[in-house]
Amino acid sequence: MKKVETWFRSQNWKAQPFQKQCWKAYAEGKSGMLHAPTGSGKTYALWGGVVEEMLQSAKPIKGLHALWITPLRALGVEIQKSTQEMLRAFAPELEVGLRTADTPQSQRTKMLKSPPFGLVSTPESVHVLLTQKEHPRYFSQLKVVVVDEWHELLGSKRGVQVELALAYLRALQPNLKVWGISATLGNKELAREILLRGTKKFSVVEAKIQKKIRVHSLLPKTMERFPWRGHLGIHLLPQVLQIIQKNKSTLVFTNTRSQCEIWYHQLLDAAPELAGSIAMHHGSIDKKIRLWVEESLRKEELKVVVCTSSLDLGVDFSPVENCIQVGSPKGVGRFIQRAGRSGHHPKAESSIYFLPTHAMELIESVALQNGIQQQQIEDRIPYLNSYDVLIQFLMTLAVGSGFDPVKLYPIITSSFCYQILDQSHWQWILNFLIRGSQSLQQYDEYKKLIRTETGLLKVANKGIALRHRLSMGTIVSGNDLKIRYQKGGYLGSIEEWFISKLNPGDTFAFSGKNLELIRIQKMEVIVKKSKVKQAKIPAWMGGRMSFSAHLSDLLKKALFEQQSESTPEFRSLLPVFEQQKKESLIPKPEELLIERFETKEGFHTVFYPFEGYAIHEAMASLMAYRISLLSPISFSMSFNDYGFELLSDQAFSQEDFLDHDLFTPKQLFEDLVKSINVSEMARRRFRDIAVISGLVFQGYPNKPIQSKHLQSGSQLFFEVFKEYEPDNLLYQQAIEETFDHGMERGRMQLVFEHLAQKKVVWKNCSQPTPFSFPLITDRIRAKLSSETEEDRIKKMYLQLEKSIQ
Amino acid sequence: MTTLSIRSNHFVLHPSGGVYWKETQTWLLADVHLGKVAHFRKNGIAVPREAEGSFYQKMEGLLSLFPVQRILFLGDLFHSDQNNEWYLFEAWVKHQPFALVLITGNHDVIPKWKFEDLGLEVVPQVEEDSFLFHHFPDQETTAFVFCGHVHPGVKLAGVGKQQLKLPCFYQGPTQMILPAFGAFTGLHLLKPRQEDTVFVTTGKKVIEIKKF
Repeated sequence: MKKVETWFRSQNWKAQPFQKQCWKAYAEGKSGMLHAPTGSGKTYALWGGVVEEMLQSAKPIKGLHALWITPLRALGVEIQKSTQEMLRAFAPELEVGLRTADTPQSQRTKMLKSPPFGLVSTPESVHVLLTQKEHPRYFSQLKVVVVDEWHELLGSKRGVQVELALAYLRALQPNLKVWGISATLGNKELAREILLRGTKKFSVVEAKIQKKIRVHSLLPKTMERFPWRGHLGIHLLPQVLQIIQKNKSTLVFTNTRSQCEIWYHQLLDAAPELAGSIAMHHGSIDKKIRLWVEESLRKEELKVVVCTSSLDLGVDFSPVENCIQVGSPKGVGRFIQRAGRSGHHPKAESSIYFLPTHAMELIESVALQNGIQQQQIEDRIPYLNSYDVLIQFLMTLAVGSGFDPVKLYPIITSSFCYQILDQSHWQWILNFLIRGSQSLQQYDEYKKLIRTETGLLKVANKGIALRHRLSMGTIVSGNDLKIRYQKGGYLGSIEEWFISKLNPGDTFAFSGKNLELIRIQKMEVIVKKSKVKQAKIPAWMGGRMSFSAHLSDLLKKALFEQQSESTPEFRSLLPVFEQQKKESLIPKPEELLIERFETKEGFHTVFYPFEGYAIHEAMASLMAYRISLLSPISFSMSFNDYGFELLSDQAFSQEDFLDHDLFTPKQLFEDLVKSINVSEMARRRFRDIAVISGLVFQGYPNKPIQSKHLQSGSQLFFEVFKEYEPDNLLYQQAIEETFDHGMERGRMQLVFEHLAQKKVVWKNCSQPTPFSFPLITDRIRAKLSSETEEDRIKKMYLQLEKSIQ
Repeated sequence: MTTLSIRSNHFVLHPSGGVYWKETQTWLLADVHLGKVAHFRKNGIAVPREAEGSFYQKMEGLLSLFPVQRILFLGDLFHSDQNNEWYLFEAWVKHQPFALVLITGNHDVIPKWKFEDLGLEVVPQVEEDSFLFHHFPDQETTAFVFCGHVHPGVKLAGVGKQQLKLPCFYQGPTQMILPAFGAFTGLHLLKPRQEDTVFVTTGKKVIEIKKF
């Protein structure tokens, strides 16, 4: 490693132990896994090895040698810059290319004709490369694949895409080295196994860099005005402004895009002098604007950026001195990640302020601080048998050079995700793609894949190939419309359902501007700037995040342990606790609290297991189902990270409930299957599956009308499968995913075993309690009913038109 | 089944989505979208074929209920271009003794003469007594209009924040919009006004919804 080390010295850098370990392992031809935090020099830890290998090569260097997969396009820009810089010092003629969805067509074509030495790309773009007929030649010189931020990809369908790409590339290049870079995870072993699979020669390198994180809770001056339910946290605006003014630059993290818009406006209203040095960053904002924001942050031109998870990942914003987290971050890992956006130098301290949006979140703050102290990050649960991603991948290969199913099967099953995919399921998928069903049917004209004379499966026609190319990827967005100024210039995208509620002339806030809707034209929303002060804030239907198991354990501990009471957070909470004790009680560790009270909405029964949103969602359905077996009743349910609520128009009796041992872990999954059939969980999961597997086609860009005859919602597919083809693997997948990821099957069993041990405390209250308040005011609800549909309808009324707030 | 009296004629609202006009022994069916499943399948989207066959099964059920002299299709009988579904339809038509009339809708792109060869009458609209039958709603006329096109549905709300979405017959002061008769068709949710009446169908029963 002499040359690379010399270069390090010439830059006045000192190679760190973990970097040297990586270089050594790489030089020995090993694959491996590097656990290192962002901003620690992890890129060079691997790139050094790649460059050294190139320098050792006797043959002239031609073709693509190194593929670097990163989850975020913005991250790719950084990595390309730093790898290119190092490469140039040794071989000025070699290049590192960047290929993401943002790369212009001309450059893509150029890189395809003469591949660069290194290529930085995203999982999606790697798959797009596989749609090229000549991809085997393109990857013929490939020596290494580096998967960056593997912890972000693991446990998502993008991770499955990476698994498939690796399995396929390994088949092309049996000596391929694979390296993963990841933050410290709960399940490190598994993370490595998924990435490296059968590779025998590997090293695991730990960068022993402990990043110091300082957490401060923003406490309200008095608790009297502190809201009981989740809100925006605007009441703490003065304190936020103080922090912003004290620091060079601050990131304000919000959990949703609408919260982001609102905070931006509130900050600007309260401190108009921020104009010009405040910006906003979220996933719906046009990428040009986002890139500008990132660049300006780097150049220290912005004092504050209000953002969502779109700025969670790795990009180096050294000038950021402080972060503020508005509302619960839902997990220790994410909180550490966000805190890490500040003090990005390897040795600098990170500082983050936690801004609770309601009283209960103060308990969370204590829990998070304990979690950081113990340096524990959540496990990521990998996907198994994602038929939708596999179907998309097979289409990708069929669009390109075609595939031989007999040769491909062992490649697919060499991946972690499909290791248990048996021949019968494989055959099902092939039938699905070739015949569109499992039986030959008369009059059928199904066309997707055809078998060529050489036994390869290829797409049937250009139309199908085009539609596939347009819908690749596993991140499913809603039905989004682009927002454009009348005079030109894109601002971003917005969900159709929001815009459809507006009339021309109405004003809405987007990307920090108040915009007047002029008209909707060809999937574009045409707007102009508005002078109106009050504007509607769009809501985005983002997925709701759940507490990790880890955080809920920490939370329970924080709530139960006496020592918490000395923290400033708990002292501030005293008035809330007093009120809770007056109406009900604060449960002890061995107790399960249930509250019952009546309002004009009906009878509320609220349970507090403190297990996180996802578990509560399933548990609510299950309890509703078990109760509904006692007598016909309909429930509407709401859930949050602390508990869940069953709301009904009749009160089920306390005695009945307690007598029947309804928390039993017996028959748990049988009952869950039955309660889920009537719930919305699987249907929601199916939406993504339908898009990923190509059932739902989202339309040609700029040509929405022509594709209309082929458009149909996933809901309709779900209904049709349920009725006519319940054994369809995609339908089944929706149910399986609901179990494994929606409600974490394994954890659920444990939770019920614990609950069965607990003492149930049932409190009849005269009015809603502080603990229940966030639940009963929640507007996102699920239903379960054991009444017949006809009986339910008779009790219902037409919903009157509601305007958006 | 619910029977309505409109301008002294009698109309039966059937849970399948069809309307039977007693005085003329006519079935009114809107938005069947035949061949939609086949069209999707032809383009590589695997909708179960069984969903398509449901039209013929549903018809068998309807035709045995009342004497039938005529069927009026209120547009969008076929979803798209001609595909193999056509031959099934052709075979079915040959066995039907009554008159078949197609009022053209926006999806009906198959040439008129093909239907006429099968013995169907193809017209832009039908006007009889003081009734107008048309594909599209909101016609400027003094007649009472029966139409389709919209695939109407409503969202119902109940105590306990319950919600249901269901297809419906949507009756205004001068028109009745029929739900889509086809299986793989979807819903367009409407927001009822004070003067409108809504009859939801569960597939088994037609129920009038009271106003809030």
